[in-house]
Parts: sequence; structure tokens; C-alpha cells
Amino acid sequence: MSSLAMGEVGRAAAQLEGEEKLSGSAQYIADLVRPGLLHGAILQSPHAHARIRGYDVSAARALPGVRAIVTGDDLDASHRMGAFIKDEPAFAKGKVRYVGEIVAAVAADTEAIARAATRLIRVDYDVLPAVLDPESALAPDAPLVHEDAAAYAKVFDAGTSANACSRTDFRTGDIASAWARCDVVVEARYTTQAQAHLSLEPCGALAEIDAAGRITLWSANQSVFRVQACVCESLGLPMTKVRCLTPRVGAGFGNKMEAHVQPAVVLLALKARRAVKLILSREEDFETVRARHPFSIRIKTGAKADGTLVAREMELLLDGGAYGDDSPGVLGYALLMQPGPYRIPHVHGHGRVAYTNKLRFGAFRGFGVPQVTFASETQLDEIAARLAMDPIAVRRKNMLAPGDPWFGGQPIASNGLAECVDTVARESGWEEALAATSTGAAEAHEADPAPAGQRRRRGRGVALSAHISGLLASGAIVRVLEDGSVLLNTGAVDIGQGSNTVLTQICAEALKVPIERVAIASPDTDGSPYNWGTTASRVTYVAGRSVVGAAAEVERKLKEHAGEMLECAPDDLELLPGGKVAIKGVEQRAVTFADISGRAHWAAGGPIIGTHSWVFDQKTFDPKRTAALGLPFSQIGIFSFSALVVEVEVDEATGKVRVLGAWAACDIGRAINPRMATGQIEGAFVQGMGYALFEEMVWDGGRLANPSLMDYKIPTIAELPETLRAYLIESDEPSGPFGAKSVGELGINGVAAAIANAIASATGLRLRRLPMTGERVLRGLLDAGEGRS
Amino acid sequence: MPLQGMLWPRTVAEATAMLDQDPEAKPLAGGATLVAMMNARVLEPLALVNLARIDELRGIRVLADGALRIGACTRHRETLDCMALSGTTAVLRRAAAQIANATVRNMGTIGGSISFADPGLDYPPAIVAADCSVEIAASHGRRTVPAREFFVDWYTTALEPGEIVTAILVPPPAAGGAAYEKHARVSGDYATASAAVCLAADGKVRAAIGGCGPTPIADPEADALLSADRSDASVARAGALLEARADPLDDVRGSAEYRRLLIPRLLLRAVRRAEADGSRPR
Amino acid sequence: MSASIAAAGSPASFVELDVNGQAVAVRASLSTTLLTALRDELHLTAAKRGCNQGVCGACTIRIDGVPMRACLSLAHGCVGSRVATLEGLAADPRMQALQRAFAETGGFQCGFCTPGMLVAAHALLEREADPDEDAIRGALSGNLCRCTGYVKIVAAVLAAASASKGSP
Repeated sequence: MSSLAMGEVGRAAAQLEGEEKLSGSAQYIADLVRPGLLHGAILQSPHAHARIRGYDVSAARALPGVRAIVTGDDLDASHRMGAFIKDEPAFAKGKVRYVGEIVAAVAADTEAIARAATRLIRVDYDVLPAVLDPESALAPDAPLVHEDAAAYAKVFDAGTSANACSRTDFRTGDIASAWARCDVVVEARYTTQAQAHLSLEPCGALAEIDAAGRITLWSANQSVFRVQACVCESLGLPMTKVRCLTPRVGAGFGNKMEAHVQPAVVLLALKARRAVKLILSREEDFETVRARHPFSIRIKTGAKADGTLVAREMELLLDGGAYGDDSPGVLGYALLMQPGPYRIPHVHGHGRVAYTNKLRFGAFRGFGVPQVTFASETQLDEIAARLAMDPIAVRRKNMLAPGDPWFGGQPIASNGLAECVDTVARESGWEEALAATSTGAAEAHEADPAPAGQRRRRGRGVALSAHISGLLASGAIVRVLEDGSVLLNTGAVDIGQGSNTVLTQICAEALKVPIERVAIASPDTDGSPYNWGTTASRVTYVAGRSVVGAAAEVERKLKEHAGEMLECAPDDLELLPGGKVAIKGVEQRAVTFADISGRAHWAAGGPIIGTHSWVFDQKTFDPKRTAALGLPFSQIGIFSFSALVVEVEVDEATGKVRVLGAWAACDIGRAINPRMATGQIEGAFVQGMGYALFEEMVWDGGRLANPSLMDYKIPTIAELPETLRAYLIESDEPSGPFGAKSVGELGINGVAAAIANAIASATGLRLRRLPMTGERVLRGLLDAGEGRS
Repeated sequence: MPLQGMLWPRTVAEATAMLDQDPEAKPLAGGATLVAMMNARVLEPLALVNLARIDELRGIRVLADGALRIGACTRHRETLDCMALSGTTAVLRRAAAQIANATVRNMGTIGGSISFADPGLDYPPAIVAADCSVEIAASHGRRTVPAREFFVDWYTTALEPGEIVTAILVPPPAAGGAAYEKHARVSGDYATASAAVCLAADGKVRAAIGGCGPTPIADPEADALLSADRSDASVARAGALLEARADPLDDVRGSAEYRRLLIPRLLLRAVRRAEADGSRPR
Repeated sequence: MSASIAAAGSPASFVELDVNGQAVAVRASLSTTLLTALRDELHLTAAKRGCNQGVCGACTIRIDGVPMRACLSLAHGCVGSRVATLEGLAADPRMQALQRAFAETGGFQCGFCTPGMLVAAHALLEREADPDEDAIRGALSGNLCRCTGYVKIVAAVLAAASASKGSP
């Protein structure tokens, strides 16, 4: 790949917000204060499903220090929000649909008074029978979570009916006849669990009303524009009335992509006519907001004796929880990605999302792909085992090669998958380990695992995966300020992943100025161009492309001015590093950005502003190749690829699995900031490891049984594998900014599958349920032992 | 008469007098448990009797006969660093080292911990295996209770209203080894199940299991078996005896069935580790 | 009991604390944690509330030189103790070396866990100038991070230790 003039792209630039975060002065939502600030607290539903007959707030209102109370009576039943299906009120109206749902909120002089006041609110409920799992929800005559589901506005053909929130079906080839042509067919069922995002920062918001009655809203968020849309739709406000801003955000992973407390906080502020800040406790964050979808998966794969994949069927049933949120997107995306990065001529993927009386399940890093990859990449290993083929060899045989399209027909312009596979195979010593354990593995299978066995057995597993960068719209505005420095505004929220820094690097490189000469504005619905959100691994690619486009327009305008100032044609000019425009080959004949900007402001043309605005527009499916029903996104994104090898150690005595090593290679087109890119891969791996081995939200009836960090555990530094290596593969995506694709989610998709494959390699045990806790592994080992002679 | 606010007794007698005066007042040691419960609004005391300034409750002293007296307000970090807890009594250090994490170990105290009596805690099986006693003070005097009898039921100890733990009395360290084998989901979690083993140089073994019932599980017959014979088969028999006394629950850390499976496995591991610790061949 | 007493817990009073070397009077009720007092009364917001149960570590500060959880310390219980927050450690050369190492290594992303992580890592380096990876993991297992996967945090602490080794 060509080297770049400024060297900003490709540099491990330090995060722009480093100093404030390292000194502790960074202002997150909980740190903000405004004049006259009140403090809010929520009241949660104790019931999974109940009609609300009425509220008695008199005792709460009488408590000294209480300034405003809002309940469903303050809401209009016709105002609803929702990313795909407009099924969700600002908070509970008429009914409660899950334990923990926000039923009312109070604003008071202190948080303690607000919380005490919520405990004095009496709500009169008519308890209704609840549906707590998707199968029960979809049974005939099941209690309806949404009686009016069919009437809700929807952005796509969802096929909503009773408790079926949405359904999707993708088909290519002729699956019915394809099975007969297979030499080996494997079919199995898999189950995955609800995972909590566990961003260290709980959700919160602060709303303030100005003298004109306009609302300014700060919140922990992944998109100021989604916040604006959700608040306005659920409260029936025109968008011009609400301005959304962002403080520093303490991570999201999807939890903060759609609304949480913002509508309630805005309503409190409107009622109190004062600023209100409301921060959820950790327990409330667990119970109220959203989590990763539990999946039930039936998967069937057929191959020829030489390992060529022929057919794949996958059927999904998602627990969607009480509101649609991003569920239809997760279902559709999971079905799009489930074949994996392979050539499979006959594919049928279909599934449904069921409403249940649990908290809504929504966007979480991977967006359905970790779930389906767990099934598809472990089934692929089973096929390899049946055919006595090395797991990497069978993948190499089938993986998408440069030029192959994705399932459904979308062309893939950059494909570094082969290099990813080669890299992890080499770096992990796959071949050597295979040779060393080939006899060992046989022994392990024959040995009798006595209940008091003390051995720790090691094994390796591989998983390949893919993800998209893309979706929906972004814009960028680049302005040259009077002194020649540059101001960039994209509306993209930096949730800690470093997008501010990366986009600034892109802008600096495009205009050939050092990064210190570029400032990036904080997202503001008033001043920023629309950016759908920090999600779908899209910011580097989608917003980055906007930045390049806006910078190109600035370059054009700079050259127009410079041409007049230097008396030549704009085509004879070039940008020189450091903020100059010069005649090509004649360095001395140059003008600075400051010179040009001065002219623009005082003499001719007006302030130099470049803009770029676009929607990802490449169609996902070629209708000649693929039949699609209930497709939530018709234009999704470009593809990135990854390969992952892990080595585990299984403790026979307890079943506990420890990850010893992980080698993860991701094809990210081009690394704008290599250190941040490896940081994403490392963080995604550890989060995926928790998902694979022990993280699980557990329900006791309708109530979440472990909504606290005492009971829901995430990996600590002690669980970090001895070896965790991230490799960046650069395949140079032609449509990407400087060839880049994004990397935020790619690193989590294959983790559970690779670990499951490694456990199988170590013990012969095939697990089809997540998480793979010590208990489940030990139970599996004992059952297998009992099953042998 | 109700008390209010933070009270700072200088002596144990002052502390017990305050607790007698107001049965709603709670004693505060390190705060690791109590304040977490206040934050969760599980407890909402109007008065706290802060034990931090009572000298006799702090620190670990070696007594004339070689026994050790661990003040109730001794932080876990001090216990784990105390080299006087050697030989078989090192089991207390092994347990302390696995409590939560380094920062919480700077705050939590042994007295506060055992008074809470959560079955997933690390000290209870360790002090039972080490044959410790718990010294308890009331206004009318002090008493000493064997560790085994101190733990009565789920979150219930032998403490009567108005009483506080003042010390854990550790028998003089015997030459030998000790081990505390803890199985948890991640570093710092409460134990799903644990096994504490003290193996004296003369071959005497004491074992206790944690996390598998309302109180630590010990069985003199199991100890006798292990003391006579530490082969795999004998340890398995001892494990079966302990498992028979277990009464575990299903919770997010594991099912009751899993905990039962773990008992003999962790016991074996702890015995072998104690042997290595004491460098004593089988 | 009247609702207003229920609301306030016990009545608030002023308590004298020593925070970052300064004597300050803070309004606190019996149940007010040190974390709440630091953040809401003194506007020292480096220490964060991630769980309020002592598990996540985002509230880690020092009391009498020892790392502790501000969320598990009561304001009234800190009378007579020296409280130091990240803000108060800013002038310490070892802390500065640590912050530089975190910046250069990329040992943070969203930054929410970072103040607590720095206080805990700094305490380690005070005790052990040249810790190995095991010692670092042991010292920081009580500071949760969801963003970084810890790899660059370990690297940052190692880098800070070796940078300090170089200086006299």
C-alpha cells in the first residue's frame, strides 16, 4: 500500500482525550452539573406483565424536596418509538411488559429524596399471565405482549403477528435437492444465553429547558441522532425542539445505541421546568435497559467427501424481550452472516423473533453473529472430524477467495481472509501442535476420565468469521477557520473506541496537515451532520468516507482560491504537507491555508466549507440469486474478515476452562491507527471469552436473578490469557477511506466457537450451549464417560 | 434509647454498652460488607458503632503458649502477610489471599467477614480446618466458641444481640502443611465450593468444605480416615462422607449437584497441595 | 417514621475530612459514602460509581496511603484519615510516569475505569518497583475493564516500571 505524505494515517496516534481521561477530569454524564440541577430516580415494575389501572402519587408529591413526578398518564398512547417497529412508549403506558420496566420517575432536590419518593408511589396493577420464553410466546393462545402489534408502524415487511415480532427468510440455490448430493450431513441444535453489556459506566441523562422552552439533552449515548429521534417520537415533540449533545461516554457495546432513560428525563425536565439529571444504578442498568439476544439455533450442514461445502440450513428463534428495539435487524443480520465466509451454493436461513415478558434484547457487539458463529464454526469442525480433515484445511478449501461474492450476491472488493488464516496458523504454531497431539488426542479419547481425575487437558480450536462495516447514513463538514486551521464535524459519537482520533487522522491526512491542526467538534444535533450511530462497526468506514469526501471538497475550494492567487489553473496545483497549496513542482510558488482563508473571509468566496453526505448504497442481495423475505436492511455494508486460533486448558476435576493463548487476525483494509485497532481486537476477545465461558443473565421466573456485579461476573485481568496477540491484515478496501474497513465488532464473532472447538480438541466433548461453564463441561465429561463401555 | 450517627468506642466494653443501649445500632468493622448492604438498602441503620479505634481488636499477636490471637478488625491483607501463621495455620493465609481482590483485602476484616457468615466466604472453612475458636464479647463478659459452632445457619452465627467478635484464636502452629482449594467462576468471586485442609507433620488431618451448605462442613470420621490413610481411595471415601453432610443450593455460581461433584475433587486437590506444602510424602 | 426521615436516612451534618492534603468540611449523613462526598460535595469526579458494591474498582482511592473503595467507605468513618484521590496524586512523579505510559501504550479506551486503575497500579509500583506480569495481574484483579481486554494495561504498567527504573 502506498505510503502517505503526512503519515497520520497508519500512525499509532495517542487518543485525543488521553489527558483528561488520565487525569480524571473527563466529564461523563454523571459528572455534569447545570444550574438549578434536580436529581431523578425511576420506579420499576415488579411484574412481568400487568395492566396499569392507576397511580397514586400523592404521598410521593408530599415529600419535601420533590419537584416533579411523571407516569404513564403524562404520555400519549399514540407516541411510540422503535428502530424497526414503533412499539415502544417513552416508558410503561397502560401496561408493564417486564420486571424492571420504568413505570414512573421523580425529580427532586437530591437523589436520595428522589429514590425515597419513588418508593412512595402506589401503582395499581392487574397482573396478567406472562410469557417468559419464545416457544411459549409463539404457542397458540399465548398471552399477547403487544395486543396491537399488527397495527404498529414498521420500517420494513416484518410479518408481525401475535407474539411474533418479526420473521425473515433468505434462500439461495435449491436446498431441498442439495442434501441428496452430500456425502456427510450434520444437524444439531444450539442454545445461547443473554449477555449483559456491562459498560463500566451505567446509563444516564441530563435534560435542561431553556427560556424558549427548547430542550438540551446530554446522555450516555452511541448516537445523538437516535436519542433525538427516540425522544421526539416517544414524546410527540418536533425534532427542532430537542438538541442532543454528548459528554464523554464510558463505553456502550450497543447498550446505549437506542433510548434508555432519556425520554423520562426530558419529561421530568419539562414538568419541573428545571434541569434534571438521572443516573441508573448498576442494578437498574442490568434490569431496565437491554442485553444480547438469547438464540435457539437449528443448523444443518452438508458436504462432499472431499470437504466441499454444499448446503446449509439454519433456523433461528430469538428471544426479543418486551420491545422490538433492534431485534429485526439482529435476526436479519444473523441470517445474512450465518453461512460464514465460505462458498456454499445452497443456503436457507430463516427465523423469527418472539416478544416475551423480559427486558428488550438489542444491539450488542456482533449483532447476532457471535451466536450463529458458535453454531456454524463448531459444526464445521464436526464435519472436518467426520471427514478426518484438519479443521484449518477444510476451511481453506471452502473459504471465500478474492472475487467471490458474499451469500446473496454482494460483490466483495477486498478479501484478506487467506492471509488472516495463514497468519494465525503460523503464529499459533498450529501445524506443530497438531503433529504433537495427534497421538495424544487419540489417547485422550480412549482414556477413562475417572471422576477424581486431575489432568488438565489442552487443545486448540479455530474459527473464521466476518462482519460488515456500513449501514445507513453519514455526513461530514470540514471547515477551514480564519487562521488556516481545520475544524471537522461528523456527528459520530466516540464511545471510547477512539473514533475522534481516527477521524481526525483521516482528515489530517487528506488535507496533508498535522493532526494538531485539526480539531474535531463534539456531536450536536444542532450543528453536526447526521450520523446514524456508533454501531455496526461503521464509524471508521462510513464516517471516514464522509470525512474524505468533505476534505476533497475543501481541497477543491482551496485550489480554486489558490489558482486565482497564484494565477494558474487549479489542476496545476497540489497540497503540500503542512497546510499549503503550491504549483506542482514549484514549491516556492505557494500559499498557506491561512492566506487562502483570509482571502475567503475578506475578499472573495466566503468561508471555506466542505461537506459530504451519503448513505451506504450497495445492495445486499441480488434478487436473481437470492429470495429474501422480511429483509430489514437492503443495503448493509462491505465485508471484513477474521481468523482466530485459541488454545485452552480444561481442568478435568472441575470442568473449568482456561484460555492459555489466542491469536486473532483481522482484515481491516488498512489500519488508520494500528494501536487502536489491536485494542479493539483484544477487548473484543476478552468480552467474547466471558460470553463463551461464564457470563449469563439468569431469570428466576420473570425476575432477573443476578442483576449485580456480585453475581454477574465479567473477566478480570486475572483471566487474561498468557498470550493474546492481535494481527492486522491490510487488504486495501477500494471504497474505504485510505483503504480502511472498520474493526469494532469483528474480533468477538468467532471467540465462543474457537473456544468450543478447542475444548473438543482437548477432551472430545462437543458443547452446544453457552456459556461453557465448568459445570457444563464437567457434566459433559461425566456423561461421555458414562456413555462409553 | 436510639443512638444516631457514627460512634467511636475506645474499648470493647464501650462498644457492647452502645449495642445494648440501641439494638438497632450496627457494629462497623472494615465496611466491605456492611456498607455494600447499606448502599443496596438492605440495611438502613441510623447508628453505627465503629470498631476501628479499639486497639485490642487490631493486629495479630503471638501469645505465651504460641497460640495466635487475630484481632477481629485485622484486615485480610495483614492476615495474608502474617508469617507467624505457619505450618498448618497457614491455611488462614491461603484463604485470605483468595478473598476478592487486593483493594478489598485492604478493607475487609476477619471479624466482619465471619460475622456475615455467607457460605461462599473463604475464612469459614479455613478456621474450622485450623481448629480455631472465636472469642465473643458481650457487656456481661466474654466467651469462646469453637469455629465449627460459631456458624449456625445461612447468614446466622452464634452471636447474640449486643455481642461482637473480638478475636479469632488460632492454636499454636503445628509443623506441617495447609491448603485452601477454591473453585470460583472468576478471580475474586465467592467460592462455588472450596476445601480447606490442614495436614500436621504427625499425619493428623483436618478438613472442611465451604460453599456447600449453610455452614462449613467437617466430619470427624472424614478427618480420621484422612489421618490414617491419604491414598486416592481413602480421600474419596472421606470426600463421600463430607458430601453426605453437604446441603448445597442451586445458585448462579453452580447447581447443588455440581457442588456435590466438586467436594471430593477439591478435597483431593487440597490434600495433595497440603502434602506438597508440608513436603511430606504419602 | 416520617417519610422525610426515610428520605434522608439519618440527618446530614458536617464532617471534617482531610482530602488531598486539605482540610475540608463536607455535608454527609451516616449513609453518605466517601464516593458520594468526593463527587457531589467536593466535585472531585475522577473516582467513578460503576457498581456501588465494591466490585468494579472504578471508585478506588487511597485512605492513609492504602488503596480502598470509596463506595465502601462512609464519609463519617473517614474522620482522622488522609484521603487521596487521583486528582491529589497528580504531582507524584511515579503517577506521572504511569499516566505517560498509559498514554503511550494505549492502556485505556473509554477511560471510565482508568482513574481507579491508575490508583491501584500506582500503589503497586510504590510497593514493588519492578513487578512482573503475575504481580501486576494480582494487584489489578479488582479493577474491571470492559474495553481494553487488559493487554495494553499490563504493557503500560510494565513500561512505567521500566521507565522509573531508568531514573535515579
